[in-house]
Amino acid sequence: MIHATVPSTTTTGQLISLDRILVVEPGRRAEAVCNVPGTLAIFDSHFPRFPVLPGVIILGSLAKLAALLLHESTQQEWRLAEAQSVRFRRFVQPGDVMELLVELTEHDVGQAVCKASASVDGKRVTTIGRLLLVNDLAGAT
Amino acid sequence: MRFHLIDRIDEFEPGKHLRGRKLVSGSEEFWDDVPGGPAMPAPLVLEALCQAGTWLIMLSTDRRKRAALLQVGNVRFSGDVRPGDVLVLDGVVESMSDEMAVLSGSATVDGTPVMQATDIMCALIDADDLEDPEDSERMLRVLTRS
Repeated sequence: MIHATVPSTTTTGQLISLDRILVVEPGRRAEAVCNVPGTLAIFDSHFPRFPVLPGVIILGSLAKLAALLLHESTQQEWRLAEAQSVRFRRFVQPGDVMELLVELTEHDVGQAVCKASASVDGKRVTTIGRLLLVNDLAGAT
Repeated sequence: MRFHLIDRIDEFEPGKHLRGRKLVSGSEEFWDDVPGGPAMPAPLVLEALCQAGTWLIMLSTDRRKRAALLQVGNVRFSGDVRPGDVLVLDGVVESMSDEMAVLSGSATVDGTPVMQATDIMCALIDADDLEDPEDSERMLRVLTRS
């Protein structure tokens, strides 16, 4: 296990930290862990009577892990361009440990496709059928 | 961050559509470092549209229900959102029952689309399970300037 070393110019936002990078197999897959502590300011407003991690933050964390995986093999910056079949299956709440998995399915010079999921206690909380990332150098958006 | 990503509701028709605005400012704290300078993270642009959708659900159910995100069929990001931009949010109800709603919509900056989303499926849950109704009502008055 290594501690998170996110590229300093990460291009998918620092919405929630990837706290531990567990596995990076360049060109194939990556796994990471996000702790979801009750101290996050986001829970004050989302929601006052029912704290729950916003689904888009989970989407952002998976896109960030995908960008990190692609950075590992290309040394280039990647960013989220499209997502399909994003399903939020269970609420993620303060105290949960989120396990993230991203698997690369297609990859060329300018764009890459992954599928991704987040789990808590072995149960999938979010699944993404298709996550499209583009390479900034390719100028594609 | 305060997770409140819509600043005004400019027009709406209950059960049909809503147009709102989110002001984007360098005084916010969420920036991506991308070519050309800082940009608003794409997932937050999607969230701004979803929040427009949840207010539309509130306004369509006499404040009783809010939307909880279940699924996004497709979302495509086609442009950067920069400090100083005004994000115009257009949310449309595609279908709605007592328990579920399907929405679609877009975000534009100066008339140029920066995001389009379709097949946004939401569960409609009791609004007062999430927030004090008085706080929601106060926020709604700010959003609609009423």
